[in-house]
Amino acid sequence: MKLIDSMAYSSPEEMMFGFAKKPVTTKSGLVIGGGSVIPEITTHPRPGKEHDLATLSRELERANFDALQRCVSVGHPSIVIENEHVFQMTNNPEWGAEISSISCQMIADFKSKYGLNAAYRSTIADIRKPDLVNLRDSERTEKVIESFKLCAKTADIVSIESLGGKEVFDHCIIRNDITGLLFSQAVLGGRDMQWLWQQIVEIATENQCVPGGDTDCAQANTAMFMAGGFDGKDIPHTLAALTRAIGASRSLVAYECGALGPGKDCAYENPIIKAITGVPISTEGKTSACAHSDLCGNVIAAVCDLWSNEAVQYQNMFGGSSAAVFTEILGYDTAAMNSSIMLGFEKQYQACLINSDRYRDPQAFILCPDNAWSIGKAIVDNANSLYERGRAAAITCGELILADEQLMLTAIEKKSLLGYMQELNTLPDNEADFIDLCLHKYQKVKGFLPAAYGL
Amino acid sequence: MTTFAIAFDIGTSGIRAQVIEQQSQEIIATVITARHPIPGANVIDHLHFALEMGINSTQRILVQCINQIIKSFPIDHKQIMRMSVCGNPIQLSLFQGIEIRDLAFAGKQKQQALGISTVNREALITNAGQIKYLNLSDQCEVIIPPAVQHEIGADALAMIIQSNMLESKETTLITDYGTNAEMALLHNGCIYSGSTAAGPALEGQQINSGMLAAPGAITDILEEPPYYRLRVLDAEMNTVNGPLIEFNTNTVIDPHSEYPIRGITGTGTIAAIFQAMSKGLIHKAQINTPDNKLHLGSNITFNNHDFHEAGKAIGAIRAGHISLCNAAGISLSDISVAYMSGASGTYMDAHKAQQLGLIPTQIKKVYQIGNTSLAMAKDLLTDSSQLQQMTELATQLQENHCMFARSDVFKKVFMLELAYWTEGMPWSLYQNFLKKYQLPAIAEELSQAEIVQTVTRDINTLGSHGLTTLTNIGQKLDAHMNGCLACQSCTVECPEQAIKLSNTNGVATITLDQSLCNGIACKRCEQICSDQYFKLSQFFK
Amino acid sequence: MEKNHKNTSIFTRFDLTTEEEEQGARKVSSDPLLQKVGSCVIEGDDDQIEQAVTEALQNKSPLVVTNEGLIAGMTEVSRLWAEGSYFLPQVILSSDAMVVGIKLCEQKLGHPMDKKAKVITHTAEGDIHDIGQVIVNALLSANGFEVINLGFDVPVDQVVSACITHQPIMLTGTALMTTTMSAFPRIAEKLIQENIHIPFVCGGGAVTEEYVTSFDLGIWGKEASQAPGMAEDVLKGLSWLELRQKWNG
Repeated sequence: MKLIDSMAYSSPEEMMFGFAKKPVTTKSGLVIGGGSVIPEITTHPRPGKEHDLATLSRELERANFDALQRCVSVGHPSIVIENEHVFQMTNNPEWGAEISSISCQMIADFKSKYGLNAAYRSTIADIRKPDLVNLRDSERTEKVIESFKLCAKTADIVSIESLGGKEVFDHCIIRNDITGLLFSQAVLGGRDMQWLWQQIVEIATENQCVPGGDTDCAQANTAMFMAGGFDGKDIPHTLAALTRAIGASRSLVAYECGALGPGKDCAYENPIIKAITGVPISTEGKTSACAHSDLCGNVIAAVCDLWSNEAVQYQNMFGGSSAAVFTEILGYDTAAMNSSIMLGFEKQYQACLINSDRYRDPQAFILCPDNAWSIGKAIVDNANSLYERGRAAAITCGELILADEQLMLTAIEKKSLLGYMQELNTLPDNEADFIDLCLHKYQKVKGFLPAAYGL
Repeated sequence: MTTFAIAFDIGTSGIRAQVIEQQSQEIIATVITARHPIPGANVIDHLHFALEMGINSTQRILVQCINQIIKSFPIDHKQIMRMSVCGNPIQLSLFQGIEIRDLAFAGKQKQQALGISTVNREALITNAGQIKYLNLSDQCEVIIPPAVQHEIGADALAMIIQSNMLESKETTLITDYGTNAEMALLHNGCIYSGSTAAGPALEGQQINSGMLAAPGAITDILEEPPYYRLRVLDAEMNTVNGPLIEFNTNTVIDPHSEYPIRGITGTGTIAAIFQAMSKGLIHKAQINTPDNKLHLGSNITFNNHDFHEAGKAIGAIRAGHISLCNAAGISLSDISVAYMSGASGTYMDAHKAQQLGLIPTQIKKVYQIGNTSLAMAKDLLTDSSQLQQMTELATQLQENHCMFARSDVFKKVFMLELAYWTEGMPWSLYQNFLKKYQLPAIAEELSQAEIVQTVTRDINTLGSHGLTTLTNIGQKLDAHMNGCLACQSCTVECPEQAIKLSNTNGVATITLDQSLCNGIACKRCEQICSDQYFKLSQFFK
Repeated sequence: MEKNHKNTSIFTRFDLTTEEEEQGARKVSSDPLLQKVGSCVIEGDDDQIEQAVTEALQNKSPLVVTNEGLIAGMTEVSRLWAEGSYFLPQVILSSDAMVVGIKLCEQKLGHPMDKKAKVITHTAEGDIHDIGQVIVNALLSANGFEVINLGFDVPVDQVVSACITHQPIMLTGTALMTTTMSAFPRIAEKLIQENIHIPFVCGGGAVTEEYVTSFDLGIWGKEASQAPGMAEDVLKGLSWLELRQKWNG
């Protein structure tokens, strides 16, 4: 498969929230990346509501309805509603399909009644746990594909958070093993995505559904969560930053297979993706605090096209249901961004978002548009193989962090980073050698089956 | 000695001709002109030109072009024994050099005031000596088919005969999707005919980037989800791929085009409207994109005015169909078969046409047929009984011919169409009005029609010598305008660059390339001339 | 800065957007008989209107029935049309119903009702396509003007003598074909010769702004719906030149 070797944006100055080089229009008529930022609300059922289809679909129907109605109440003109499948929705493909169908019908009703512009994203669960099954050949794999086929019939966008490479990643992250992380994300994750995404794109296209995108949530976000805040000591933030950069080389594969964006909200590497591909992206930051904490709450909005809350459990708050409340918040966030566009102040607004987090943490630093672009450039300039580009991304990321004195690091962080850089620099230059090395080194990792990656 | 016969279709956008060998009846060659020789963009312009410049000069222009075509045939014109023509009454009357004022003034009061008695447009077999300026041997026979009433002519008769629709037992509709949309409905052995002045929007005019079918014209827009692929005519008039576009905005996803885009044709306009409506971009007769335009590539746009003009043309055709049905006592859904004729009809996407209401929604079978005028002219050469058939058909059509302009049903329905296409009246209200007017409702569900394309291009068989296109038709005419200051304003102002000025010994000679001139409807040269010295008639009288 | 703060990329005023859809016609009168007359106009019901007007005329003066029933109903129709709830075919039906009602009132009164002013309309000599004129007639009537409808295919001289006889404030001409619109400048020339300098509004399929503004008195009517507005301007005292400056390029 040909890897992308050129940048959609010739410089980071061209990148702006609300605008993508290749806007996407859903079958419901919503334009994403066409000049304004749109909120994306992800609703989630409460534990215990997944036992049967009737209960689960009622739960999500209410949640999604609350989101749509809140838009009408406060005047938000557009919204994307996402449901990330709980296990049962994919394991029983007709469940996910039913919920998608109901949600899309509600969207059509609101459009017809109020003129509200909305779209529905169905994110299929990757139930192919690598340590349980062969990723390419199992009943669970078939269910994933079947889910896509059924949901694409009604949903506007389909996506997935794919798990390829996770078994090796989990083994290596606690061992501080950058070589293994590179192998799991760039090579294993990338190869699995190549296998999976060609099928997703074909299914989506047949149904006039948009094949949105993927995320390195399984790996890079795990690193981010383990790194935690300034009071976290589990793994260095610099390692999390490197995995983020490598994660971009993995997530890129979806677009090489024909995905069109919007990329998944939890793909914090999306600014890098957008710089390379020009597709619209969804991001989450401060308004996803309901799901998890992060250190780039504002900067991650700098080039977003959809602004998301990641996921919120359906429950009651003083201001209404959580679905309604977060819809309102996200919509006001986007109204402010869109106002800056309307008034011509978007560059200044963007600068404020960036300034808030640029030197807050290396993970935020590398996701600033200029640094994200540079990492993207390193990726496309090393398009010989998945490994080479993942490695180049990591090295460039490390170099950027070390080069800016204003980005301060603790002694441990700095020492760790230098260690990772040294290890990266001693790795083989070509992919074949690297794979040989890794196959030997990680053959005993629980659940790792090279054949499941075509190796 | 081998003898030949020549057939001519004198159409709106040019003349198409074929020469056949009489013994074998084989087509030897096809010649078409790139433009119509008479200044003007459509047949009413040509008519107007004749009114102002005189029938004689107009006939001369037309027949000289025909002579040019005859000269280009790969045969000795002395061996031409027979000639036939086909076209609408205006073109044929100009060819014959007979009265045309009854065609320009439909109202009887005006006709009487001008002292025009009924003009004879019956079928005629005469000889070349009777047609002024025609460069053929006097003995060469010239066959001229009949007209019905002033607005329906030999071309409409040709359309009906060549389609073979009269042989059908089913209720059949035929439409020529052009400026004067001629149409006919066959039901229970009766033919109801009419013609609606739909306007040239479906032939690429009155649309801001509109053009007649020619290289560089967008003729279709296909979905390549989530984007759209423009289809464009290349130098050989084949349809090839154009850029991949976004449509709502001027974002071009893939600018590569197999031929550079210059504009959009009527069929392209239909495609644009269809795609916009399918995508939900039309709301209350306005284009609902950030800048209220549809974007076709980087420099072609389609705006609200274009949408309204095209809508009026589509509406006029549907109103015509409904009026014919009303005359026959049936509804649109009772029509089983539809024929689409004319260049627009041949190249239009029938599915899109059905969605927009240009073909009845419940139609079972659609035939897209090619150029019927030329085919008819050719048939007249070999089978003179066809002339009698045309005459009989003309008589038959007169029984049930509808003058839409005077029809209450047409006017009422066209008013609904105006409201639908230009005001955004909801479809439900349209249907309510039909009920109020005691007209049958229009079925909303679309049938899965069987589409039969009987030809791959407008003129199917070209002959052993193939197709020649004459681009250098018409003449360059000189004139001296009294008082001319040689300021060159006219040369600059002319939108077709048809005027040149040369100054010899202080005398300004203005040269007009008459085949490029837009004629009476334009006259920007006269308007720009500061002291009104420039008179177009100087070239022609 | 966008002027329309109803529906923007920032927010959508769903209260306003739903308001226009929910609102139907407003009441025109508190008197039930007059309300019935008004409703018949609003619904374009030329069957029921005769009965409604006749009933109302039994105890109300023709002037009251006209102003507070018929005209009030038509005003509501205009409002609905302007806000996009009503469409042209409805406006014409309403106008036709109103005209029927006014005729009945005039019968009762014994003489024609005072109208705002006279306007002569016609379709050009040689032309039989009069849809534009039908719309102009209906709209002018609906707006209280007395329309003298000369019909279609009207000779130039007949138009001119009608203007001499009736002294209208405005003349309209409709033509579909470029060949027939050549009658317009000839009409204008003859009017000027007779010292009549009224605005001559010309419109229709092939009629262009360039052509109409090339002769004195000519004003291009882009849409038939502009006719009442132009007539009101003439009532306010605008000359043909001022009318042209306002309405044309």
